[in-house]
Amino acid sequence: MIQTTTLPPLAQPIISAVAVGYFAVVAAIGIWATRKTRTASDFFVAGQGIGLWALAIASMAATLSGFAFIGGPGLVYSVGIGAVFIILPVSLTNAMGAWVLAKRMRLLAEVRDMITVPDAIGARYRSPLAQGLAAVAILIAVVGYMATNMLALGLVIDAIFGVGLTWGIWIGTLITLAYSVSGGILAGVYTDVFQGSLMALASVLVFVYVLEVGSGLSGISRTILGADPGFMGPWGKLTPLAALSFFFVFGLGSLGQPHVVHKFYMLKDPRRLKWYPLIMTVALFVTLLLYVGVGLAVKSLVVSGTMPPLGRPDDATPTFLLRFTPLLLAALVFSGVAAAIMSTVNSFMSIGAAALTHDLPVALGRRVGNELRWGRISTVVISVVAALVAQASGTLVAFLGIFGWGLFASTLVPALAIGLNWQGATRAGAVASIATGIVVTLVFETLAYLRVYAFPAGVTVSGLSLVASMLVFLVVSMLTQESEGAAIDADIRLVMEV
Amino acid sequence: MTRTIALGALLLSTLLIAAAYVGALVAAVVPPWTPWALMIGTSTIMLATMVLGASRAGRGIGRLAVPFVAMFLVLLVGFGAALVMPIETVGSPLWLGLPPRASVILYGIGVLPLFVLPIAYAVTFESLTLNETDLERVRQMKAKRSPS
Repeated sequence: MIQTTTLPPLAQPIISAVAVGYFAVVAAIGIWATRKTRTASDFFVAGQGIGLWALAIASMAATLSGFAFIGGPGLVYSVGIGAVFIILPVSLTNAMGAWVLAKRMRLLAEVRDMITVPDAIGARYRSPLAQGLAAVAILIAVVGYMATNMLALGLVIDAIFGVGLTWGIWIGTLITLAYSVSGGILAGVYTDVFQGSLMALASVLVFVYVLEVGSGLSGISRTILGADPGFMGPWGKLTPLAALSFFFVFGLGSLGQPHVVHKFYMLKDPRRLKWYPLIMTVALFVTLLLYVGVGLAVKSLVVSGTMPPLGRPDDATPTFLLRFTPLLLAALVFSGVAAAIMSTVNSFMSIGAAALTHDLPVALGRRVGNELRWGRISTVVISVVAALVAQASGTLVAFLGIFGWGLFASTLVPALAIGLNWQGATRAGAVASIATGIVVTLVFETLAYLRVYAFPAGVTVSGLSLVASMLVFLVVSMLTQESEGAAIDADIRLVMEV
Repeated sequence: MTRTIALGALLLSTLLIAAAYVGALVAAVVPPWTPWALMIGTSTIMLATMVLGASRAGRGIGRLAVPFVAMFLVLLVGFGAALVMPIETVGSPLWLGLPPRASVILYGIGVLPLFVLPIAYAVTFESLTLNETDLERVRQMKAKRSPS
């Protein structure tokens, strides 16, 4: 049960009731989507039939995991304003993603009926090897990401219902699996719309309480400045290099997140992309108010003596909610945290299953007979593996979760985002950069995990691997351009020129 | 031409970011120039990537040059100001509720582009990104590839 602070009377039943109501809505959407899912295209790309709002809100929900509601505010509480550099690029990244990827991905789906991100890489370079390598990178990162999120989901369910962590992990996995296996990405998208709306609403309401409790932003700033001016500096407790490194990795790296990029295939009418960046950016901005607000407010309350220091930074959000907001809102946010995690897990289930069922067989020159059936089986297999990993070890899970973003970024940003906009990019460049991303990320993350080598403050493996794969991609492509000639199919070339 | 310049900027900015990381890795104490290199490199790589994505074969980026340059300057000036402005004390003034340097970062870099880039994308969508003619060309290509 929730134990971060002494619970007010009736807290547990209200939080549990709201959570049950939330899971019932998710189940209803799953049942509706199951009836509409008849083909592999329905299962993996929602039959290319979703609207603009569904695309934008589902992408927002998939982008934000439980970190935005629990880990993020905890990080702000620990290191101050510097923690904001993780989400700071949001004001730029959605427009950047729209210019660089949205139109081209959607038009690729138009000419080739593509269903996965590695499909686009395979078609762009006419290379099953590049497609297969991208699928391997996605599979590794997906299992790590899912394990981290399932562990978080287990913690949330345990906190709400008091069932223990192991049961929490498996209950969360089964609920997410139930609608993902039956309704595929269609269920995922529409539960994401519900979950994303819930997250945005909860975040705005909590931010109002943040301002009220802290006597406005000025009150919060003055209180913290009096005790710890460095906390309110632009880098917080981080070094400038570390904060800027976050901005680089989470800014440019956003172009390589397949659970978001993949959704561009699903939009019914490509002309509706016009308003995508605005809706997505505003939705993210609103939902991230909690990330910044709660972290600063709790620090201010601790500094002023209103609250005792937290035992763990991750207690910032639960403690604030239970002490300073109405019970119903606290319950809504707890469901919002589960929503954030489940929407991310569902997206990973879908792209992981597609990599296993579609991309790896294509890379090996084969085709799976019934992609819908095998897609469902793969979803179960990947989820069970991730849930087992989530149970295995806390430190291992944390390790796996850390490199997910970096692995996606270093393997997909050069080959996909740059490659779809540069006709001079070559197959050799793509293969070399994806391989570089995988090797650099795995080797250096393992060295850091085993404490064989400690990086100086500000140097992250994600940043290093992204830079290394970018350089390899650019240099190898430039060196191999003449030997490869114009190795782009006419339809792909058209998509790159339009 | 636009794409060639964007690619050149992409390569140079990647090298600058690599230099920042290598500089921090090899020195006993992180050299003071590394945040500057990372800041300039990151701002440039974001600009170059956007230009590369927005430019179309033989047509450049047209009116988008204005919001792109504005965004680039916001990043450079914002990060630069955070690096050079004096450290706040208890009595420092607040700008919109935050200490000046944090305010520059949060409002300047975190909020201001929100009102520029997505709107620039929407306003120029038909003329510079995708219109009915483009879609028709793509659909004709698909029909040509699979006449059945």
